Amino acid sequence: MEPGDGVVNRPPVRRRTLLDWLLGLGLGSTGLAVFHPVRRFLVPPRGGEAETASVVAGSLSELPPNSGKVFPFGSRPAIVVRTPDGELRAFSAVCTHLDCTVQYKADTSQMWCACHNGIYDLSGANVSGPPPRPLETFVVNVRGEAGREEVVVSRS
Amino acid sequence: MRTTTSRPMLALGPLALLLCLAGGEARAWAQTPAATSAPNGCVTCHEKSSGAAAHAVTAFATDIHKARGFTCVDCHGGDAAATDAKAAKDPAKGYKGVLRGAAGVQACATCHSDANFMRKFSPSQRIDQAAEYATSVHGQRLAGGDTKVATCASCHTAHGIRAVRDAKSSVYPTNVAATCASCHADATHMAGYTKADGTPLPTTQLAEYRTSVHFAAMTKKNDLSAPTCNDCHGNHGARPPGAEAFVNVCGTCHTTFATKMQASAHAAVFDRGCVECHSNHAVQPPSDTLLGMGEGALCVTCHGDDNGAAAATSMRAAIDSLRDSVEQSSTLLERLHASGMEVGAQQLALREARSHLTLSRAEVHSLNAEAVTRVVGEGLAVTKGLDEAGAAATAELRFRRQGLAASMVAILLVVVALLAKIKQIERRQAEQDGPPAP
Amino acid sequence: MEDPTVATTTSSWRARTATWIEERYELGALTRFIDEKRVPVHRHSLWYYLGGMTLFLFIVQVVSGIMLILYYRPSAAEAYESVQYIVTRVEFGWLVRNVHSWSANLLVAVAMLHMASVIYLRAYRKPRELTWVSGAFLLFLMLGFGFSGYLLPWNELAFFATKVGTGIPGALPIIGHDIVRLLRGGDEVTGATLSRFFGLHVAILPAITTVLVGLHLLFVQQQGMSVPPSVEANVKKGERLRETRFFPNFVLHDAVGWYLALALLAALAAFSPWELGKKADPFASVPAGIRPEWYFLAAFQALKFLPSHVLGIEGENVGVIGFGALAAVFVVLPFLDRGASYGRPGRWVSWLATILFAFLAVMTVLGYILA
Repeated sequence: MEPGDGVVNRPPVRRRTLLDWLLGLGLGSTGLAVFHPVRRFLVPPRGGEAETASVVAGSLSELPPNSGKVFPFGSRPAIVVRTPDGELRAFSAVCTHLDCTVQYKADTSQMWCACHNGIYDLSGANVSGPPPRPLETFVVNVRGEAGREEVVVSRS
Repeated sequence: MRTTTSRPMLALGPLALLLCLAGGEARAWAQTPAATSAPNGCVTCHEKSSGAAAHAVTAFATDIHKARGFTCVDCHGGDAAATDAKAAKDPAKGYKGVLRGAAGVQACATCHSDANFMRKFSPSQRIDQAAEYATSVHGQRLAGGDTKVATCASCHTAHGIRAVRDAKSSVYPTNVAATCASCHADATHMAGYTKADGTPLPTTQLAEYRTSVHFAAMTKKNDLSAPTCNDCHGNHGARPPGAEAFVNVCGTCHTTFATKMQASAHAAVFDRGCVECHSNHAVQPPSDTLLGMGEGALCVTCHGDDNGAAAATSMRAAIDSLRDSVEQSSTLLERLHASGMEVGAQQLALREARSHLTLSRAEVHSLNAEAVTRVVGEGLAVTKGLDEAGAAATAELRFRRQGLAASMVAILLVVVALLAKIKQIERRQAEQDGPPAP
Repeated sequence: MEDPTVATTTSSWRARTATWIEERYELGALTRFIDEKRVPVHRHSLWYYLGGMTLFLFIVQVVSGIMLILYYRPSAAEAYESVQYIVTRVEFGWLVRNVHSWSANLLVAVAMLHMASVIYLRAYRKPRELTWVSGAFLLFLMLGFGFSGYLLPWNELAFFATKVGTGIPGALPIIGHDIVRLLRGGDEVTGATLSRFFGLHVAILPAITTVLVGLHLLFVQQQGMSVPPSVEANVKKGERLRETRFFPNFVLHDAVGWYLALALLAALAAFSPWELGKKADPFASVPAGIRPEWYFLAAFQALKFLPSHVLGIEGENVGVIGFGALAAVFVVLPFLDRGASYGRPGRWVSWLATILFAFLAVMTVLGYILA
């Protein structure tokens, strides 16, 4: 190549600009591809912090004596019951027989599985029907100011 | 005749009275330690002998009655204080010898059928065993003079009796089947016995039972509440439950199924209730294939080209559709989970769908296609929601892949442009530096 | 300062900034150094890019690691849940975590390749002994990062792998038990171990690594790239050694490599995400198929193969002491291969290295097959 000739020089100049433009486009878009996820990552997600070993089952006012409530505990259902004496207890709501979900039975103050009539007493013990084992027991705590208490269930 | 003391010997009447007068007080059944530690003339001789009598002495060491202070004479009579065999085995002293057949039952019943007596040892224990026994096939045949039938000692053993809750007991739940089978699986012993219809009594019950879900529950899951022989046949009043009773017998545990079954149109048709489909001793794990008109299905036994066949087919189709749907959703959720998607709520819903599948299988026992389809419909509604959630998650996954593809294009663009740029720079440098030295 | 006849507004702005900096920091020497720096070009030049690639992946680790710390919680009760939260709830959390995990593995692999190339090309010979030593320690640090980071999600596999891994020094006489306690922060792998590993992973190791990386790079910049003995011999015979500019030629080539690594990372993160597995349960029985990360698998498998006693010494002791000795030899390799420094590279180094790499490769493969 001969340097200095204006006619020969022109095409490389045009090619250089196109190349620089392409490079700039590539760098810009990869920069964006990195920057966008980073920016979104830094924004805290809605719906509170990391789910730990405890979960809010509901408000205490939802649970009059002799009632129960099934709520999601992770990916499995759990049940919190209030005994006729007003005591709060929580169990896994997964029937130990065939994994159906148990419910509270107010007329007998027991937990009952509709699938095969399995019955658990209010300490989670299997008292009648096919369930082979008691329900897994959880720990219940009440927190918050009077009148607006939350029922918090944790694994241990 | 009875006095308030309720001593067993008194029940034997005047002879016992005589015994008492003869000094029976000192070694009576009472729970005084002195009674057990007193020298026992029966043992002195029988432990030196051989055979059954010696075995009786050894076996009795672990017997629950010995632990409660009873001795040989409480059942066999005679005089343990006597020093020679003749005096000890004096019929005048109530000696009854070996208690075979009815005599054995009578000896046990002397105490075990006496409420006042038993209350002192085991207040909640039933006292109707002898009465029940009398209603059993065993008891009735014994009364008819058959001495081969089982009596108390056949099942409980004669001298090594243990409490039922003692795991070493011959009538502990896990041992019951073997105990019954010691006669009932013995073809020689059972030869000549027939069913009510005159056919020979089979000896295959134990072998069949061992293939059943009940046996598996008892032995593999250690579920002592799983039924063994006596749970269906009765223990002391053992006999076949009777055709009309099957639903009730199975229903003692399987309430849901029994209730639905009894309310169904089949209650009047099925002579043997549950057993019609599930067999008796060899109850197998249920499966969906039993339902419908296809291969392995049971409905086909009676139904051909009728409404029943249509109902069976539709019930099977409904259950199959829910099962397939649950399986598909489950696979979908697993795939999404493996791809790092959040599916906690969907897994919760999937459980509900599985519950409906279980419920629909229970509903089959109402043999009502409409009811089954309703339950299945509820389950399908849940899986439909799951599919929508799955579709959303799949869309998110697609978005990730598309985003990746887009960044790949950008990255490749940069790489290609950079390489071109380097070439360009090198050429420019070569131009500046002049041609390389040769 | 302004020269309206030549410069456009942009270039005058650039010139002004350059002058502003130059007046204060005298960067002239540095820019001159960069301008004049040359990188040799020969048939082994490709290996020169591995160091830069390692550095790039390390930077990716630092950035993604810092991002993860924003949501991660280092406690036995919350570690697993917080990682689960990052992966499922935080936007692009899956990407950040997967990039961090994949980049960690690529980093160790590239660092090992870098080390192997340095051995085969004898780049450690005089005057670059200390560059090697710092690099050797950097490799150990990378393994330390890998080992400590593996536990942080507090899942079942990592928990038991850590239990086995931290238990290995326990075989050593006298000091063994104390080392295990030091590693675990107690007698058993517990939440205390997690806190300890977290501290190690995000504070202690990064601090040491920063210093060593600085030294390593300083040495490299000061001494330039090593020319392999074979090329050097040809040069001595009169062959011309071709060179290329460090800037922009070599740097741009480096950038191409980094972009390719970035593409690979993104693809791996999107198509082959790391599973979180089950939360660690210290009371659960050991699950089947636990094994450490692939870069520890060879050592793990070799220890398994050792007989219970070798020459009257407990087999595991022999293994631990053997690996320790190997590491020591590895660190002082430049001082053992003295011939290489005087233009007589010993063949034995290449042979030994090949045998060792083959052994490690076979053990790793066996580790996967037998698990």
